[in-house]
Amino acid sequence: MKTIIEVRGATLQALFLIVFSIAMMVVDHRFQHLEIVRTNISLALSPLRYLVSLPATGGNWLNDWFTSHTELLEENESLKAEGRILSARLQKLEILMEENARLRNLLGSSRKIADEVIVAELLSVDQNPYSQLIEINKGSSDGVEMGHAVIDDFGIMGQVIHVNPQSATIILISDPEHAIPVQFIRSGTRSVAFGRGSTRQLELRYLPATADIMVDDELVTSGLGGRFPPDYPVARVTAISEDKVRGFVSVLAEPKARLDSSREVLVIKPRQ
Amino acid sequence: MSQLKYLVIYLSLLAALVLMILPLPDWVQIYRPNWIALTLIYWSMALPKRVGLWFAFFTGIILDTSLGTLLGQHTLPLLLIIYINLNLYQRIRVLALAQQAIYILVLLLIDQVIVGWVEGILGRPPPLLTFFAAPFIGMLIWPWVFVILRDIRRKALLR
Repeated sequence: MKTIIEVRGATLQALFLIVFSIAMMVVDHRFQHLEIVRTNISLALSPLRYLVSLPATGGNWLNDWFTSHTELLEENESLKAEGRILSARLQKLEILMEENARLRNLLGSSRKIADEVIVAELLSVDQNPYSQLIEINKGSSDGVEMGHAVIDDFGIMGQVIHVNPQSATIILISDPEHAIPVQFIRSGTRSVAFGRGSTRQLELRYLPATADIMVDDELVTSGLGGRFPPDYPVARVTAISEDKVRGFVSVLAEPKARLDSSREVLVIKPRQ
Repeated sequence: MSQLKYLVIYLSLLAALVLMILPLPDWVQIYRPNWIALTLIYWSMALPKRVGLWFAFFTGIILDTSLGTLLGQHTLPLLLIIYINLNLYQRIRVLALAQQAIYILVLLLIDQVIVGWVEGILGRPPPLLTFFAAPFIGMLIWPWVFVILRDIRRKALLR
């Protein structure tokens, strides 16, 4: 049987550890001091993470292996065609960029046009179903830093919130804790798009009822706040609902980026 | 040699961690039982002198890092249920497996409520009903966890 002293000792220890973990949560939520603990533990656990991602990787590999010859030929053809179209567009774009630079020079503005990018691959998707984080295979040793924007071929995906030497954690724009400053291309109205925890939806709250917004309007980053570079596609408006009582409209938009299916992503390094 | 056999505890927790972070489709994700809690409860019931609060603490921190949750979010409930378990294990050990499973359900629910509560404080309250599915799954698989870990413990001559 346990003695009274033993029980009391365990209670004190439990109380101490519980208070300690509450304190840890607060510190972790408010400050960055515990990042180092996180970094070291995830570094130690990285083999485990690799092991866990093996089934998915292996599946992809097998898939690639068994893709038939004709399919490859077809894919090759269509890629070539796409390449031709893209290079044609690129020519136009180059002319436009030159013109743009010239005009900006005329205006005396010094906005940067091209950003440097790092190509990264998805390592894993966060297992907490209530937040939307992904892990990529490039980290501080490749030049990824906290706050860098992340895009896929279609638009903005999110931003870097945590960096390890060989990997980085990205918070998606659809995370309920994430908000991104945006601008409507057509009307120029600025707003902020909040995540809702679903990869298919963003929400723009408290827009004035008089704002010029239509379904299918395109949203791009406004560049305000300095986190995201301006003019990257973010989302397309899918629904507008009016709050007649308070005179606001609330807008739902579908992210352009394939938040749930992109495997290759680009990390944008802001030019110094 | 006498220390080496305790490696079994760490290995089983490692296996539980793999099960916790194994990628699953979204719709299965919410039904994932808390393998770590189940494994910890078993060991603290079998070897309360060895697997106690500190064990729960460090396991919790590793779990929090792997899941990307706040440091402490899973640690706190693990500490709590292991503390409860340390006080009750002598009575629970003699129960039948089915009765034990109900006790396990209570512990897992406590764990889940605290994790969800912290999520709520952070501004992303979890969906009410499906959120409590995981502890019930945990209860259903407890007999298997218990038998498997008990056999492992006997093979490793831990007592």
